[in-house]
Amino acid sequence: MTHPPDTEALATKIDFDLWRRIFRFALNHKRLLLPLMASALVLSLIDAAFPIVTMKAIDVVQNGGVPKDLIPIAGAYFGLALTLAALVYVFIRCAGGISHHIAFDIKRDCFKRLQELEFSFYDKQPTGWLISRLTADCDRLSRILAWGFLDILWGSFFVAAMSITMLILHWKLALIVLATLLPLLAISIYFQKKMLITSRQIRKHNARITASYNEGIAGVKTTKTLGRETENLSEFEGMSTDMYSASVRRAFFSAIYLPIVMLIGSLGSGLALWYGGLNVLSGSISLGILVAFISYAGNFFQPINQIAQILAEIQGAQAAGERVMGLLATEPKIKDSPEVLQKIATRSAELQPAEGAQNQTTIAPDGHPHQIDEIQFADVSFSYNDKEQILKRFNLTVKRGQTIALVGPSGGGKSTIVSLVSRFYEPTSGEIRINGLDYRQRSLAWLQSQLGNVLQTPHLFNGSVIENIRYGRLGATDQEIREAATLVNAHDFIMKLENGYGTPIGEGGARLSTGERQLISFARALLADPQIFIMDEATSSIDTETEKLIQDGMQRVFDGRISFVIAHRLSTIRSADQILVIQKGEIEEQGTHQELLAQRGHYYELYVNQFRREGEEQALEAG
Amino acid sequence: MTLKLHDDSGKTLSGPKLVWTLIAGFRGMYLWAALALFAATAFQFVVPLIGSATIDYSLVQDPVHEEPLLRRVIDLIGGPELVTQNLWLPAIAMLAFAALGGLFNYYQKLAAAKASDGICKRLKDQLYDHIQRMSNRHLDQTQTGDLVQRCTSDVETTRIFLAAHIVEIGRGLVLIATVLPIMLSMHVGLTIASMALIPVIILYSYLYIKKVKHLFTEVDEAEGRLTSVVQENLTGIRVVRAFGRHDFEIEKFEKPNTEYRDSSIKLIKIMSWFWSVADIASLTQIGIALIASAYLALQGSVSIGTIFAFLALLNMVLWPVRMIGRILTDFGKTAVALQRINEILTQPFETEGDRITLAPNQPTTGRIAFQDVTFAHHPTDPTVEGINLQIEPGETLAILGPSGSGKTTLMHLLLRFYDCDSGSIQIDGMNIKELDRAYLRAQFGVVLQEPFLYSRSIRNNIRFGVSDAQQADIEEAANMACIHDTIQNFSDGYDTEIGEKGITLSGGQRQRVAISRALLRKPPVLLLDDALSAVDNETESSIISALQQRHGKQTTIVIAHRLSTLAHADKIVVLENGRITKSGTHQSLKDEDGLYRRLWTIQTQLEATLAVETKS
Repeated sequence: MTHPPDTEALATKIDFDLWRRIFRFALNHKRLLLPLMASALVLSLIDAAFPIVTMKAIDVVQNGGVPKDLIPIAGAYFGLALTLAALVYVFIRCAGGISHHIAFDIKRDCFKRLQELEFSFYDKQPTGWLISRLTADCDRLSRILAWGFLDILWGSFFVAAMSITMLILHWKLALIVLATLLPLLAISIYFQKKMLITSRQIRKHNARITASYNEGIAGVKTTKTLGRETENLSEFEGMSTDMYSASVRRAFFSAIYLPIVMLIGSLGSGLALWYGGLNVLSGSISLGILVAFISYAGNFFQPINQIAQILAEIQGAQAAGERVMGLLATEPKIKDSPEVLQKIATRSAELQPAEGAQNQTTIAPDGHPHQIDEIQFADVSFSYNDKEQILKRFNLTVKRGQTIALVGPSGGGKSTIVSLVSRFYEPTSGEIRINGLDYRQRSLAWLQSQLGNVLQTPHLFNGSVIENIRYGRLGATDQEIREAATLVNAHDFIMKLENGYGTPIGEGGARLSTGERQLISFARALLADPQIFIMDEATSSIDTETEKLIQDGMQRVFDGRISFVIAHRLSTIRSADQILVIQKGEIEEQGTHQELLAQRGHYYELYVNQFRREGEEQALEAG
Repeated sequence: MTLKLHDDSGKTLSGPKLVWTLIAGFRGMYLWAALALFAATAFQFVVPLIGSATIDYSLVQDPVHEEPLLRRVIDLIGGPELVTQNLWLPAIAMLAFAALGGLFNYYQKLAAAKASDGICKRLKDQLYDHIQRMSNRHLDQTQTGDLVQRCTSDVETTRIFLAAHIVEIGRGLVLIATVLPIMLSMHVGLTIASMALIPVIILYSYLYIKKVKHLFTEVDEAEGRLTSVVQENLTGIRVVRAFGRHDFEIEKFEKPNTEYRDSSIKLIKIMSWFWSVADIASLTQIGIALIASAYLALQGSVSIGTIFAFLALLNMVLWPVRMIGRILTDFGKTAVALQRINEILTQPFETEGDRITLAPNQPTTGRIAFQDVTFAHHPTDPTVEGINLQIEPGETLAILGPSGSGKTTLMHLLLRFYDCDSGSIQIDGMNIKELDRAYLRAQFGVVLQEPFLYSRSIRNNIRFGVSDAQQADIEEAANMACIHDTIQNFSDGYDTEIGEKGITLSGGQRQRVAISRALLRKPPVLLLDDALSAVDNETESSIISALQQRHGKQTTIVIAHRLSTLAHADKIVVLENGRITKSGTHQSLKDEDGLYRRLWTIQTQLEATLAVETKS
């Protein structure tokens, strides 16, 4: 399996178009976005106003005022403080609100899209990878959208407000102090990037260490038999040393960054003191203005730091943005064609609600007959990746009521055949026909609702037994579920579980054997009353009794349907109408059990091996 | 150096004692960090004081109360007039002290990081070492996920505590301890007015965060539920698609997604109150200082420089200090994490209780004897009972039995993963309990049931344990295990990576790689625990015949179910419910009623069935 490339590298350029598209998610929440912008703007003005208050107070003192003069100043100060606190409340609520609303929206859209994508998409993307796209990436983007937006807005407003105030107070002095701004920004961006990169390295080392712990624990017995404890430990120590060095490097950058920017701030203050002091002496500015300038010079660090940090983060999150937007832009490859959609629309318009019920059972939503009499593979070829042909010019006709057993080595193409029938994949060339009509001209949803699939290692969801069976037909009554379970012989073992049909399965629930899981998924598939049954028999040994139950159920259920079984067990194979030995994408042998045995070919060999295997299993079980 | 985080009674230490023990070996580093912190703080405080002095002595030339020390310093430079004429002097001084402060800040941060990361590295190494050496009985009782969590998340919690929390609290305390004498020397009343709210602010954030802590947990839990729904959906996506259930799934996803959003927003609302109130309290403190100092200045009891100094110092102290309350609420978390870590570190080693550890110079001849061996995983229910076996050098012993009959346990006892409860196992007449484990295990080439391969190249997997092996030897072992050709067909040959970052091998391929690994060691004794179960019949017989070449030179114990593997053995024992029910050779057992005979008759049944089915 090929793994997606490591896309954690820092983007070299900000892709504005991408971010504009991502930002559209924020625009859906104007109710929060507008107050956020307003509060960021006013907040920056207030932040810039505080030194003015101090300036006024000092001017009062310098000019030898009376205590009463301080009252308006105190009033102004506490007025500003109260407004600031109120604005802090507003912007945290708005930014937090936007962030979580956006996360909600992006996740919902991604999740929806994931439900529509075809199997081949999932073949390429490991589940764990997709999960972190849907959780970590979405959270990260929404955080950047909301808080990043706020920080940039506030930061730039604040810098602008301070600069303008200073220029108004004394433009020459202002220019001197503002000269420190550019180096401050450049250095901040440089260090923020460095720190982001080293943080990534730390994460990578950390992942290796976690994997190493996992391996160490899972392989502990093997390690002991090989006497590798010391070497393993020194390998591990190598990794933990790498992590240590990366962490110290990260600490080094942040330890050196802060003093440098602080020093630049002090340079600004120093310049203000020197040049401003001269002006105070010459009487052209008040002492208050000087003090205000000194504190402004020290105030630039925070907004600049925030802006630099968010710029680095945007570059760091660009890959995540591309992945998420890429996922949203992925169109499902297997879907109804426009013609089929047209037919479905016409058909549903034709159907008068009153007379519909009768017709629906004979005519499918796409206007064609509902009953499937024949499935035909006509020259079907298939490959997953255009390189390797999994199926080569495959031909087969199956009539209603027939059971086809597919046997042969793994990787030979058996599962591909049933996946093609299910239209989880479509042939790369050739046609699969239902009643003589290419199935791409039929409704996808209709076809898939006519399928009953029992997978080899059936996936059951967390939830009770009854919920799992009901998954086959959501509207089924408890009675119908019991009937389906009884028909496939699952009822008795379910009743023996602690809470019968209500018994939870999965983490913390009943631990079911593979055979039992197959029985449940069998009932689930039957509940949909499908016209086509697809069963992939479990290869792992199932105890004889359960196996008999499954066999018996299959006989009953397959009657009157078209069934494909990827068969391993002798009894299944023997009872099929036709057996196909599939090897290297082609039908190697075809016929009934007896015909094939007589050929003494692959089938004969398979049969003999399987006979021994099952014999051994039974012999051991009897003991 | 190993760390001991508990007292003699086995109880995990707590409070300062725990921290003191934890930082052992790095105490010097922390001391250096603390000194650097003091120096940094002191230098940084000087910066606004220079500004204040310049205002009072040079610009206004009215210090109100002349500070004798400061006056001496200024006179040393050349008096206030000289400073007034050369205002760049205080500017440079400000810059110089800021630089000094920055330098020591840098030292402090780096030292603290080195110490905390060093402590955590040591903790991780020790955990890894301990897990490898822990007794299997204890390891069996733990879950891998939980163990890994303790080694990673709990260590990270500890790291944050050491790197951030301790340092932040230390900084807060140092700031207050340094600023108080400076402020007090300027004006006692103003100092009180400027600092009065600080304890209130700390207490407020401590109590507030403590009270809403459960909301953080709620959000974490909601996030966990959301992730598990996504995980569940994506792992079962084929079922979802097979039944066309996407609408149902989307609806199912809506609920945890909404819950996560709503709980997060609820927390945000609570936290926006917190920050808003914290800000107003802090700003009030500054406001009080501003108005009070201006008032005092108007009355002539403090100078303008003092106003400037108080405001600047307060700004430097207030913001870091107000974090203290919040940090304090996290202390409990660290104590819990360390306790969980220590639970691993107090598990006994497998060597605990070993008294004699002999390591003969010679490899074993391969003579093995089980004498009345009994062992129970659970005290009430013996896994194997009264086992007596005698294997001569070079012999092949086959063990047959249904699953759960105790076959694997016999192997594990022989390798001393567990020690038998009664009876003894002897190699060359020596009780294995008296042998050095490394020596003992070096005598065996083992293929365990469900063999474990490491995520590294195939070559490195095969030579794992024999790191100096030559390519020729590796290939020879691979050839014997019938995997050489398969490996050659991989695009990277022996360098093909397996596991998470490489290819996935089939069960049979994994078994054969593990067999090559065992054979490469050319061990005196080969142990195969159902090691050919996933290999097809043809390959199996090739491997068996390759192994036959070592017959007589290598003692072999094999657990198997297939007649083809069993029939060659010199001795076959049938194990049922932990006891040997039959033993003998192929010749003797095939005539006795029982498991072996049932296997033997399959062949006859097969022939009979084929005869019937091909005829009719």
